[in-house]
Amino acid sequence: MNNLKTANTFVFNTEFDTNYLFSLYGDDYNYLQEVFNTVLSDYQSLTDNIEYSYSSGNLTALRSSVHKIKPVFGFVGLTVVQEHCQQFEKICTTVNSPDQLAGDFETLKNKIFQSKQLIEEEKKKLELFNSNCS
Amino acid sequence: MSLSCIIVEDLQVAANYLRNCCEKSGQVEVRGHFVNVTDALSFLNSNTVDLIFLDVEMPGANGFELLDQIAFSPKVILTTAKSEYAYNAFQYNVSDYLMKPFTYQRFMEALQKIQPSKETISTNSASDHIYIKTDGKLIRLNNDAILFIESMGDYVKFVTVDGKKFITHNTIKNLEEKVSKQYFLKVHRSYIVNLHKIDDMRENLLFIKGNEIPVSKANKADVFRRLNIV
Repeated sequence: MNNLKTANTFVFNTEFDTNYLFSLYGDDYNYLQEVFNTVLSDYQSLTDNIEYSYSSGNLTALRSSVHKIKPVFGFVGLTVVQEHCQQFEKICTTVNSPDQLAGDFETLKNKIFQSKQLIEEEKKKLELFNSNCS
Repeated sequence: MSLSCIIVEDLQVAANYLRNCCEKSGQVEVRGHFVNVTDALSFLNSNTVDLIFLDVEMPGANGFELLDQIAFSPKVILTTAKSEYAYNAFQYNVSDYLMKPFTYQRFMEALQKIQPSKETISTNSASDHIYIKTDGKLIRLNNDAILFIESMGDYVKFVTVDGKKFITHNTIKNLEEKVSKQYFLKVHRSYIVNLHKIDDMRENLLFIKGNEIPVSKANKADVFRRLNIV
């Protein structure tokens, strides 16, 4: 987290909380690129766990798997999605089976899917930015 | 480097970030990263560390189960995405609680909470007595006169050699840092005992003048270290 760029010129997609990212990483875009890489490497297994717990009707595992992915969105600056996960966790505590939150689950699933695309796009932009800076 | 630590965390991005914070601080040496309690426990069975950065919800056993099973008492900083563990954190004498993701500044604040306690201990370790406030007055208790101290929720009970019991508003956690380390040792989250008064020890129990005191797994190694076993 020490390689500072000379100018803070990287422009994030507006879905990303730029100030929040800056509070975590400063303007170390190389490290940020590593973060995006790590997140994308783990993304599939994290989302698989969510899908599996929902389809197997295990509410505790579903809440736990959403809880697990929640900070990932914070680490990449998608704070709105992080908050959405938090809300979903709360909803999980108010129902008796995953069937009762089918609508909420569909919304969450879409957000998680869209987030992956956003992270992938942003990672590509970061790679280009960092290669131009080096 | 002044502190050795391990990271117990199954979320890779969080573990990497934590490792970076440790390296950046120059104060913490990361001796290992484990993604579950079993692997961490295996390491801690043959190694000691000053500090554990511990996630709570992991596959298999949770973080608190690790604390139940280790034979020494390292400092612990919980790294979690949930605030519901506050009560457990208090019970396990956790030093701080980092909500993921946390800033480097917040990380450093957590480290600061670990360092000063050593000074507090040394400052008080030479005293041969304490004063406790009970029934509206301050009573002096010489260390030699105290058998043990027992937690009673928000209160503690001092049991003395002459069979008296003094109840005062305090906690074991607070007292652990204030009583003389030459005399006293926390052996369980609810008990501090006067080491000079122990009659015998069997399995996970200490006996002091007919009183049976439980010894927790986490504190057992400390007890053995402090007893004059020949």
